[in-house]
Amino acid sequence: MKKVLLAAALLGASVSAQAVAPGGPGCGWGNLIFEGKSGMPVHLLATIVNGTSGNATFGMTSGTNGCDTSGALTYSGESLLAMNGVLEEVAQDMATGEGEALTALSVSIGVSGEDRAHFNSVMHDNFASIFPRQDVSAGEVMQRITAVMQNDQKLAKYV
Amino acid sequence: MRAALLCVLVFFCTTVAQARDLEQLAQQPRWQALLHINSGATLRDRERSYVDDADFFLSPEGATNPVAELASTVEALKPPAAPARCRFPARYRFVAESLGWQEAEPFTHCAEYLEWRRSVHAKRAVLVFPASYLNSPSSMFGHTLLRLDQGDEDSAVWLSWAINFGAVTTEQDNSLFYIYRGLAGGYPGRFNLVPYVQKIQQYSNMESRDIWEYTLDLDQSQIDWMIDHLWELKEINFDYYFFDENCSFRLLELIQVARPQSGLLDELRFAELPVNTVRALDERGLVTDRHYRPSKEVELIALSERLDDQEQALARRLAADPALAESEAFRSRPPRRQAMMARTAYSYVRFVNRKAARTEDIAGRSFALLTLVNRLPSVEAPALPDKTPPESGHGSQMLAAAGGQRGSDDFGEVTYRLTYHDLLDNRRGFLDGAQIQGLGVTLRSTESGAARLEELDVVSIRSLSPRGRFSKPVSWYVEGGLERAWAGRRRLTRYVQGGAGGSWRNGPFQPYLLASVRAENNSDFGTLITPGGGAEAGMLYHAGRWQWQLSSAGHYFSNDVYRHRSTLAVQYALARQHGLRASLEREGWRGDGETEFKVQWRWYYD
Repeated sequence: MKKVLLAAALLGASVSAQAVAPGGPGCGWGNLIFEGKSGMPVHLLATIVNGTSGNATFGMTSGTNGCDTSGALTYSGESLLAMNGVLEEVAQDMATGEGEALTALSVSIGVSGEDRAHFNSVMHDNFASIFPRQDVSAGEVMQRITAVMQNDQKLAKYV
Repeated sequence: MRAALLCVLVFFCTTVAQARDLEQLAQQPRWQALLHINSGATLRDRERSYVDDADFFLSPEGATNPVAELASTVEALKPPAAPARCRFPARYRFVAESLGWQEAEPFTHCAEYLEWRRSVHAKRAVLVFPASYLNSPSSMFGHTLLRLDQGDEDSAVWLSWAINFGAVTTEQDNSLFYIYRGLAGGYPGRFNLVPYVQKIQQYSNMESRDIWEYTLDLDQSQIDWMIDHLWELKEINFDYYFFDENCSFRLLELIQVARPQSGLLDELRFAELPVNTVRALDERGLVTDRHYRPSKEVELIALSERLDDQEQALARRLAADPALAESEAFRSRPPRRQAMMARTAYSYVRFVNRKAARTEDIAGRSFALLTLVNRLPSVEAPALPDKTPPESGHGSQMLAAAGGQRGSDDFGEVTYRLTYHDLLDNRRGFLDGAQIQGLGVTLRSTESGAARLEELDVVSIRSLSPRGRFSKPVSWYVEGGLERAWAGRRRLTRYVQGGAGGSWRNGPFQPYLLASVRAENNSDFGTLITPGGGAEAGMLYHAGRWQWQLSSAGHYFSNDVYRHRSTLAVQYALARQHGLRASLEREGWRGDGETEFKVQWRWYYD
């Protein structure tokens, strides 16, 4: 938290929102996996000139589920999941047992190359317990992943 | 003794470096690249910086005078805790290396920069080229961005950064006037840095565009130059011009900072097309690897194509009602086939609702289908179509010569087209069923008269994408310009027309049907602009190097004039840059008609 605040302050972004509640009001953890509209709202002109609407972002998180978008992108497992549309892709990869979203998650958790196939298969086998219902939140998913990893001989060392 | 010698040497080198004329140093390619000096790549702003922002320069005449800027920079960066170092880390590196400044930790006071640099680092740089997207004018020719990979593993690209250059607009700007401004350079352009995963979602998921990724031959030090320089461009404005100083062009400038000797910007680069950017990098040996990332739509079609007709129908029904998984019809299939159907149904639900707002129903079906996929045995991913990369396609400009006969008149004709591709042109490397033509001129000379303008094609865009069980795109076209048509006699007419409809695929055949409207001005019609309505039907067929098109279009005008034109045309792709085309055309109007036959040789270049 301290680090996030520091980053926010350094990047000149609003810290007050963070002071209210971690991540700001309406922030992600209550959000569902299968949100509809992902990505930025499509703005006609922005599309035409390949541009961005409003202030250009410069290496800060944006598009997280209603979260404050000021912190530097850290790519811990949790902040990755909180990004728009990622949770849904992770769910798909876990259901099938492979994919880029799942790899990104394992890399961001710190799972080493030789354990990655094992991580994938454990996640595949535990899909039903990690995603028990359609409205599970990113925070919950992360907790459940952690719990599954703790119960696995090879993966316990990463959590 | 050795140490003493080294000291002498270092001292000697340092003095020499310091004594070196600043003027000479300012001519170095890297300094020129760091200041974004135009060395002749575009006609505007020759010998001055492309940066349009006083904040970027330390000298008042910095934009036009690299020497003065260097002198001011050296002065500003010299003090150990100089704030300018935090703004210009790449310039610091350049000056320090050139003048032999030796400080172990020159940036200790730059907390913000160091923080940013900790999260933005890369082992690999990749040029990313999302292919043509006809539904957005700027993306018709594709777009380019740079990707910074934190590791060198292919699979972790979701953790990469994307460097994008685009115009900065505000929410209020959405009238046509602003679009014009955007194209004509009225908006500032800026670099921004976003997680690459957002770009995948935008292009591959939302816009159904294939993405090509080209690994660049840049080593760690060169990548660091680029990232450090990127920091100097934070919130710095450039001009944004749609045609030349666009996303692709600016990325070349960034790569130029990494490899100043690359010569990427030495030649004039008018109308910088993303595909030509890729070619420029490829030709200079900067591309080491190529990767194809199919769009979600391509994936869905590949998934559905391994199902038989009955299974496809079942998958469609399953997508609408996952409870069907319990039905006898579904369960009687082998588990592997069930898995393939479930996988297809899930992809279909996600694809159809990619732009829809979230509803309980969509979320419920998605979740039920995923749970089903997870429960069934794993099946391998389907084989993807073998796509030819866009840079191996024909050149973007074209010259053509033709000869033929119209009625009883022989004619000869020359054509120039600035850009880019029509439905019959050599199809290798291009999107099937997509046509984008801009600025084509045809001059025709007949036996009975001097050469005259036959056709001026200002713009002509066609998107004929086949509808199937899982994807139902609308086919459409718009075009405008000058052409000769029958109005009392054969006259030059000015027109705009457009239409919409559908297209289907049956093996190598692709029929289409479009309703269309046309507004025309010519010297025979009484009113200034005469509107008309009509239809067009046609069929595309390709086999190997042969591409055929049969089409028939008719328009009925408000002044009771009727006109139709039917064409059978075929092109044989002789080589990448050469094509031979033959066409037979029948133009008809009330009571009469004319037939034209033509053979044309087309040469693509650039």
